[in-house]
Amino acid sequence: MKNNLLVSFWPHIQMKDSITKIMWIVFLSLIPAGIAGVYFFGLHSLVLIFVSIVTAVFTEALIQLIRKKKITIYDGSAALTGLLLAYNLPPAVPFWIPIVGSFFAIAIAKQTFGGLGRNIFNPALSARVFLLLSWPTYMTAFVNPFGSADTISSATPLSTLKEGGRTLSDIGLTYMDLFLGRRAGCIGEVAIFLLLLGALVLLILKIITLHTPLSFIFMLAIFSWIFDKHGLFKGDVLFSIMSGGVILGAFFMATDYVTSPLTKKGKIVFGIGCGLITFIIRRFAGYPEGVSFSILIMNAFVPLIDRIFKPSVYGKK
Amino acid sequence: MDVKAILMIIVSMVFINNFILSKFLGLCPFLGVSRNIKPALSMGLAVIFVMTLSSSITWLVYRFLLLPFNITYLRTIVFILVIATFVQFVEMFILKKSPALYRTLGIYLPLITTNCAVLGVAVLNINTFFVNNNPVEFSFIYSMLQGFFAGIGFTLALFLMSGIRERLMLNDTPALFKDLPIAFIIASLMSLGFMGFTGFNF
Amino acid sequence: MAKNNNLWQEFSKGLFKENPIFYIVLGLCPTLAITTSLENALGMSGAVIFVLTFSNVVISSIRKIVPDKIRIPCFIVVIASFVTITELLMQGYFPILVKHLGIFLPLIVVNCIIMGRAEAFAKNHKVIPSLLDGLGMGVGFSLAIILIAGMREFLGTGKILGRIVFRCFSPSLIFVLPPGALLTLGLLIALFNRIKKR
Repeated sequence: MKNNLLVSFWPHIQMKDSITKIMWIVFLSLIPAGIAGVYFFGLHSLVLIFVSIVTAVFTEALIQLIRKKKITIYDGSAALTGLLLAYNLPPAVPFWIPIVGSFFAIAIAKQTFGGLGRNIFNPALSARVFLLLSWPTYMTAFVNPFGSADTISSATPLSTLKEGGRTLSDIGLTYMDLFLGRRAGCIGEVAIFLLLLGALVLLILKIITLHTPLSFIFMLAIFSWIFDKHGLFKGDVLFSIMSGGVILGAFFMATDYVTSPLTKKGKIVFGIGCGLITFIIRRFAGYPEGVSFSILIMNAFVPLIDRIFKPSVYGKK
Repeated sequence: MDVKAILMIIVSMVFINNFILSKFLGLCPFLGVSRNIKPALSMGLAVIFVMTLSSSITWLVYRFLLLPFNITYLRTIVFILVIATFVQFVEMFILKKSPALYRTLGIYLPLITTNCAVLGVAVLNINTFFVNNNPVEFSFIYSMLQGFFAGIGFTLALFLMSGIRERLMLNDTPALFKDLPIAFIIASLMSLGFMGFTGFNF
Repeated sequence: MAKNNNLWQEFSKGLFKENPIFYIVLGLCPTLAITTSLENALGMSGAVIFVLTFSNVVISSIRKIVPDKIRIPCFIVVIASFVTITELLMQGYFPILVKHLGIFLPLIVVNCIIMGRAEAFAKNHKVIPSLLDGLGMGVGFSLAIILIAGMREFLGTGKILGRIVFRCFSPSLIFVLPPGALLTLGLLIALFNRIKKR
């Protein structure tokens, strides 16, 4: 007799292959933005993406082999983690950076908790912050689009702003540049237009909801507008949304099933927290960008958020 | 009073120099009482209370007893005794006035005596708010605030940790990492996030 | 012969079987903060061995005089006195080290190992076993923090005792930062649990 009484951790998704399907759809929806990244920053980015995915999948298989568990690399979650990590890397990092990063993401941030569905923190983001703190010089050296890999240490729009730049034209960019991705930044975060397209697909297929991304972006935008460096209500809203990793973070990482709240209200609270912390870090702390940190911090709040906004029991009001 | 200085104390104590995640003070109770949310919160409240008041008491003792008699080298002994006595009094007071509160906080109070965070913040106050044995301006108020917000930071970390560990109980964490190792890894990842506030400045 | 064996056991149990850090997980507070370099760890080790051994000896020798009810304050005073002696000695001989160790030197007072050994061992054992127990626990503690500090210094700066070991190694700065400390300790405890099980 087949044992249907599988006691598993949330999300309690009924069909066995639906999680696999979702993972691969998210993976595919991210591909266009990656192609744009490779187009802007050259083939080295493609190598980084490839190395990152392979390491993630290999690590997952290795650990499952050691633990004598079923090997689940085809469910796409490890590949997705590798892809997201690569998208959060500057395009000129040496190839061993994604190897270390992907290993950390899978081995430490995911498998020590017991694997998919059990980790508390987003593996790709944990690894990204781990790399940022470990090798700050590599992780903050960016290249301009179409620049050769030798011309590193080009500043991102956000870091220029941090160092005293005032407006978009000071940086020599237009909103259109930001929208299409013609700016220095991480491999997968620059092509805003294509990321939004991918997010739209996920929204239509009901894989993600708008609660977290909207509250995240709204919170960040409104605070950036009100509390600008140059005076109250002087902030550049569009710039704050399109200049960093917010679109990638809000739509693709803050919506991760495992590490975000279950209920609508919880998702909104989660998004608000992310937006607020991102703003505080961008505006007051030492780092130019705070998206990864903010999602990581809010991940720690998820069990408490879920406890407060319990899903209502069927039959009760 | 300088608003900027106060805000810096808050952010520093709660996030950047969080007593548990960055200074590793009070790790023993952090690991011991973070398995469930309720006791974690009670412990947190008790720590905030004791840290705030013991910060002020040790400041007074240092300023008006140790400094005038030139016996600052007895700081460690005197502070630990003051804290132990103070905690004892608090325990007796609460027992008398509010048995209900005692039931929630009572068992945590003796634990606090040997909580390095309490002595830690007392020593830290003296190191930061006395220059060449002279108190800086508003030294006393800053010390009290530092004690209070160090307690808040402690409670925040404890609260988050207890939520996460409660969830992990429903999980089959690999046997190798069960309980303590996974708690350290969670703390490490939390501390990774909190590092984002480094370089905070107004 | 049997007696010698016993004494040896009092000493050796702290090294591995009951290692205060990896198995009993006590005395972490000063452990992690100062393990950014091997040098700091060596300094801390010396201080802890000194305080632990002597406080164990004194507590065990006064164990019959001290009334049970006020034993904890008495123990604290004994421990705090030895910590103060250590502080003053180290300030005299190693002023730079004292600066590095900062508030964690006076905090040895509340290091749970020392109070823990006083309560669990010294208060109901004779002087010699207590001395050996303190020494063993102190050395076990030292071995553990030296291991942690060595790993952190090497991974985080590429150096051991301030000397560069490998030229072609790009150190991972995070290991000298707080998250690296927690991670190292978490992984080491898991590793030791594994070894112990075998």
